[in-house]
Amino acid sequence: MAKRRDVLKAGAMAAASAPAIFGGAAIPRAAQAQLCRPEGIRSPMTEPDSPPVTPYTTPVYIPPAMSPVDPASLTPPPDPNRHQRFDEFRPVKHYVQRLTEGLWNYHEQLSALNPLGFGSLAWMFNGATPGETLVARYGEPVFIRRYNDLPSTENALIPFGLPYFTTHLHNAHTASESDGFPMDFAGPGEFWDYHYAMLYARNNPREALASLWYHDHMADFTATNVYAGLSAMAIFYDDLDSGDENDRNPHALRLPGTYGKYDNYFILHDVRFDQFGNPSYNIFDTDGHLGDLITVNRKVSPYMEVEPRKYRFRIVDGGPSRFYELAMSDNSEMFVIAGDGNLLEEPVSVTSLVMGPANRQDVIIDFSRYRVGDSVNMVNIMEQVNGQGPTGRRLEGPNRMPVMQFRIKPLEGPDNSRIPDFLRKLPHINLDEVVAEREWVFDHDMGLWTINHDFFDPTKVDASPKQGTAEIWTFRNAGSSWAHPVHVHFEEFQVLEWNGRPPTGVLRSRKDVATLGPNDVARVFYRFDDFLGRYPIHCHNNVHEDNAMMGRWDIVPDNGGHHGGGKWHR
Amino acid sequence: MKKTTRRNFLASAAAALPVAAGAAVTPDAVKDNPAVKTCHRATGGKNAHRFPQVIIRDQHGEKAWFYEDLLADKLVLVSFTSVRGEDYYPVLNNLTKVREIINDRIGKVGQDVHMYTVTTDPRRDTPDALRELAEKHGADWRFFTGEPEDIREILASFNARGSLYGLTWIGNEKTGRWTKKPSQLQPLFIAEPVARLATGKHHLPFLVDMHSV
Repeated sequence: MAKRRDVLKAGAMAAASAPAIFGGAAIPRAAQAQLCRPEGIRSPMTEPDSPPVTPYTTPVYIPPAMSPVDPASLTPPPDPNRHQRFDEFRPVKHYVQRLTEGLWNYHEQLSALNPLGFGSLAWMFNGATPGETLVARYGEPVFIRRYNDLPSTENALIPFGLPYFTTHLHNAHTASESDGFPMDFAGPGEFWDYHYAMLYARNNPREALASLWYHDHMADFTATNVYAGLSAMAIFYDDLDSGDENDRNPHALRLPGTYGKYDNYFILHDVRFDQFGNPSYNIFDTDGHLGDLITVNRKVSPYMEVEPRKYRFRIVDGGPSRFYELAMSDNSEMFVIAGDGNLLEEPVSVTSLVMGPANRQDVIIDFSRYRVGDSVNMVNIMEQVNGQGPTGRRLEGPNRMPVMQFRIKPLEGPDNSRIPDFLRKLPHINLDEVVAEREWVFDHDMGLWTINHDFFDPTKVDASPKQGTAEIWTFRNAGSSWAHPVHVHFEEFQVLEWNGRPPTGVLRSRKDVATLGPNDVARVFYRFDDFLGRYPIHCHNNVHEDNAMMGRWDIVPDNGGHHGGGKWHR
Repeated sequence: MKKTTRRNFLASAAAALPVAAGAAVTPDAVKDNPAVKTCHRATGGKNAHRFPQVIIRDQHGEKAWFYEDLLADKLVLVSFTSVRGEDYYPVLNNLTKVREIINDRIGKVGQDVHMYTVTTDPRRDTPDALRELAEKHGADWRFFTGEPEDIREILASFNARGSLYGLTWIGNEKTGRWTKKPSQLQPLFIAEPVARLATGKHHLPFLVDMHSV
């Protein structure tokens, strides 16, 4: 199969009159430095291509689960006064993570180019990117202390990003002070404590989250810091979704498990590398950043050996700006069991997965249809030429971007996992509880991105929903050529209407990222419970987020005011 | 392995390569293609290759190489307006407040921190017109105009489009790190990233502590 790069290169050779507006991809690398930026075009295609890399030659990286530490080893000890409801949810698992700068082997062909040593520059959690997976269970509260051991701004070798961090566990039901608010950052030499209560929202098991991810949320530098490596995954299990396909509990779903074996998590980041094999980034493009190579768990187009049986794959689009439509190269069937990390009521059969930045989808793929020795590729068929959003066209034939390869190896044991007909009930929506309706308009102004015509100002509170109430929020994309994956921290929403129609399929789910296409309008139902404090709403095209497309909303105590009964007010 | 050695090696390699490549390889696809424009890029600094190699003039008629003299190795705020644009989308009064905060809290403007305003209307805005504009707002930093073609290259390098452009770019070319803020944002939050991007004794993580508890 011809690679996309080869085809583009061949095209450049053949057509001397290649259109100059897409010059970047068609012009030899050596010429790039001599070019003026083509006027009127803001495009990652004017950036130099990554050095050549052969896809499907590096094994996929499966991050290990975090290993607990003895809480007595933490000095100073956790301070209960820094956390809401700490005594109610005493941590039973403690972890330590250190953020460092180092070299990460994205691909041997890139690592070999680096004069600094074997690997590409990266910011990492405990020496790896993605960091270890947080494998947690409802009812078992977690405490994580994260140390910033990154070099200072003048000594950091990664030339973009800022070596400050604040980590968001997306989208756990977490008190504000542990939620990674952009201003809760810690600089080199400092640490920040995170308390994850591991409670269902409203104590309702129907509100369980399953596939989460944690990533940096530093003010103004989220896109660059995540791109540098500060992202990883988290899995929450409970009695229903226990991660054990041999579970004797009659209520357990017995989905393919366990973590790291038949239950795996893949984070996708598109990365562009420079001539030394280090990630490169154009900080002057406010539309978004596109890489030309797709990495899975920070390995460029890796392969994975699988048995001819069912697997659960949790897939997250780690951004910063690329949208995906993922398909198997043989166009075969996949079953979506969770949207944005939350189990659907019923599995949905699909042949492709459409995802925007921060969207997650859990799928079950049954490899028993292949024979040992076969291989099948996962490819991206969504065309995107700039950071604003997809073009709306599909990539075909050799233009499809390699994501990863599955190679079938012999079966090692019986497959006791199931694809159940019913997964988890959605929480009931009671519109009588709604006390307010709000609209959030996502637009562009003066070169930056806006929400309700405003730029991000962390002192300005854009909404103050009362604890214990419900609201209807409308997300409106005022742009006709760009897409905005709208993310709200802390609570999951359910879609009431998408462009005026009720949700079907994968959209009928609890979600935390509303991926708005051009001019899309989504009307969603929210409840606000359990904790107080400040949370952000933002575009999860991280480049838009860093370019002011963020607002702050606070959950405030309800001081006995009367509400409900269908009476809406602002 | 000493950090400084590695850094120097990386920096020298990075600086050397584009030059060598440019000299050795004639960009054939470019040379005979009238649709592709080439121009000189600045050299020497962290993000030099992203900026044009042009000479511009300030409100006193003083000339400067845009990258070499104004950006390289400096902590800078680059904003954009014009005499006419200021009527429609005023930013200078706000930036005057930003300058006050920087002077008070971070370092001396013009010495430790460099503020520049580049006109988006080089055909109309002469140095004299910019001097008048600056004085009207009590803005004592440098305002620049120049050949329209050169200014257009500068605007393009910051993604500035149209005759109004509401962003202030904040960068430290010692480290190559940049960010940007809406020029009309409350001045504290334009000044704060300057402190955060500053290195050495001017570096501060924040101007107002907004951490929870």
